[in-house]
Amino acid sequence: MPPFDPQLYTIAAISCWMIALVLFAVPRRYTPVHFLAHCSYISGILILAAVAAILWYGMDRAPLRTLGETRLWYGMFLPLIGYAVYLRWDYRWMLHYASIVSAVFLGINLLNPENYDRDLMPALQSPWFVPHVIVYIFAYAVLAASAIVAVKGLILHYRHHEKLPELHLADNLVYIGFGFLTMGLLFGALWGKEAWGHYWTWDPKETWAFLTWIVYLAYMHHRIHRPGQVTGSLWILSLAFIILLICWFGVNYLPSAADSVHVYTR
Amino acid sequence: MNRNHKIRTPVWVPPWGYAEGWLISIGLLAVGLLLQVFGGGLNPNALSWPVNMYIALIFNGLLISAYLCAGNTPLVSWLGRVPAAICSITLVTLLVLVMGLILQDDDSALPWIRRIGFSSMTNSWPFLLSMMYFMAALGMATVKRIFPYRKKNLCFILNHLGLYIVVTGGLLGSADIDRRLMELRQGEIIWLASDDDGHVHEMPLAMELIRFEKEEYHPKAALIETDTHRIAAGTDLDIFEIDTAVSGNLGNWKIDVINFHSLSIPVDDRYEPVLDIGAGPAAFVRVTRAGFDENITGWITCGSFAFPHQLLELDDNHSLAMTVPRASAYRSQVMLYTPDDKPMIVTIEVNKPYSASGWKLYQYSYDDRFGRWSRTSIIEAIRDPWLPVVYTGVFMMLAGALYLMFKGKTRVNNVGYGKSGSMGPEMSNPAKLQNVKSIQE
Repeated sequence: MPPFDPQLYTIAAISCWMIALVLFAVPRRYTPVHFLAHCSYISGILILAAVAAILWYGMDRAPLRTLGETRLWYGMFLPLIGYAVYLRWDYRWMLHYASIVSAVFLGINLLNPENYDRDLMPALQSPWFVPHVIVYIFAYAVLAASAIVAVKGLILHYRHHEKLPELHLADNLVYIGFGFLTMGLLFGALWGKEAWGHYWTWDPKETWAFLTWIVYLAYMHHRIHRPGQVTGSLWILSLAFIILLICWFGVNYLPSAADSVHVYTR
Repeated sequence: MNRNHKIRTPVWVPPWGYAEGWLISIGLLAVGLLLQVFGGGLNPNALSWPVNMYIALIFNGLLISAYLCAGNTPLVSWLGRVPAAICSITLVTLLVLVMGLILQDDDSALPWIRRIGFSSMTNSWPFLLSMMYFMAALGMATVKRIFPYRKKNLCFILNHLGLYIVVTGGLLGSADIDRRLMELRQGEIIWLASDDDGHVHEMPLAMELIRFEKEEYHPKAALIETDTHRIAAGTDLDIFEIDTAVSGNLGNWKIDVINFHSLSIPVDDRYEPVLDIGAGPAAFVRVTRAGFDENITGWITCGSFAFPHQLLELDDNHSLAMTVPRASAYRSQVMLYTPDDKPMIVTIEVNKPYSASGWKLYQYSYDDRFGRWSRTSIIEAIRDPWLPVVYTGVFMMLAGALYLMFKGKTRVNNVGYGKSGSMGPEMSNPAKLQNVKSIQE
């Protein structure tokens, strides 16, 4: 039984971001308007944080079990990262894209409401459960921001034939995201040893997590070796995010995952 | 350099770059496939102790001596640079991608897929060769940064050496892992365990099951189609957890749970709470249809191995059902006998294995016909002598990941990347660059 209806609050959070984006479009000299924009944007994130907290308290377990529950955290982290990027490097477009991508993922939740129940299988009752999933979802959100940079760069290049931007932002995001990805992978290995007796079994989810990890590794090496070959780097970055999405959602539908321990309730 | 100029080296002229790397990747894949098709798959047990230790010594010895004695040869120099890293990463990625798409260890896979080893990738020649390629490149890049050691290379070494140790320990150690099942029953001391192939082994420890415990979440109330026993359309989100005095709505019906027993047995036409073998959950409910005053009352239960389930029929097509409760925990209390210690009672639970005599003991399974009343419990005993090696690498990588996030990317122009993309001290002889031809496009 859901302790309350998360749907309404999700819509409220998305609305806050949309209002903020409109307010951010007002020239900066109107300081009070910008202050309101910041407040509205942060409110959206806080509303989702409250939803996660209430679900956690109400169900007496971390709301990280189902794909829908992980999308909720993703929908919260991505705008948070977009906001941090905006504050740190003044990229306002990141704010827009992060909100839109987040709204799309939360929209999937709105279209597929869930029956939040308390049940948590014994294998998931581990101190590793929360750090493993949170670190992963945070990595996914940071890497989504890097994918946004990649898609924007490719569009600029092929549609508008503009000079390609330098990839400092993408690099910074990938280094942070990759760090979290590595931690998620290793936390999963340490947990796997305690729960199933082995740290790595080439379970399909593990296989795809490894693929995601290694493609970002290729991106980092390519950037170091060929810093001038921006188009190639952007393509690798886009491909890496597609693999990441297959790892997150797609694995559930792959024939190779018939016996996976990672096929969650959809 | 003018943008219109590209420097290209003919293939196999040092310093080697991507062209050589791709050719080596393709060559290794081809050799691997040929070996697989004509020689058959690999026997994973061939690597057991001490063969794996010799291989580790030889491989590491070769890498280090090649670097120290033949660092200027094209192959060794190239192995430690980015093109070799990217080419080997690509080959490994391709094979793992295939592994991610094709169901592994599947006897019904197409014959040609089985023939080329893609349905048991980790035991195939192509995978072995690609991993050796990857490890050679990773190892050489690491060796370059270790000799001579500089403090600024710490982050690099943590990440690369950590990964190298994890993969070496994981690949070479896998043949030394022992996994055995011990089926415990109350009142019997068991010291025999069976492996995957059904061979029985005597263990250095013995166990006796004192008690198996299983805890369950409360069952849920669901509206089902009486004929098919499927959840009635549009009501799956309304399924709710049963407890005394809880109410819920399922479709057009309002359900009030008047009384719930988590453990009970049928007595005449009702259920009485008992704590005895075969007891199961049951609930007395009142169901009211929306817009009607009269209601239906009755018992529902999901049953147990001792008595059948019971539905409450609501109309011609629909019934109210109780779902089978899901496990919230299960554990075994066992008397453990080891050569070193006095017998003692220990608890083995999912996610909480117990270590004894070099083995880790895991709660694996129980007799699910009897559920919480199972009198047998299956414990898995696992020994992995290479685990400390792998964990050393894991913790190095964790430290490296943190370091990487704080440090970020080293600015390219500070490092001085040459044409050949060296990530470390340049080893190639600058005189060889005379071979480089500049091609104007």
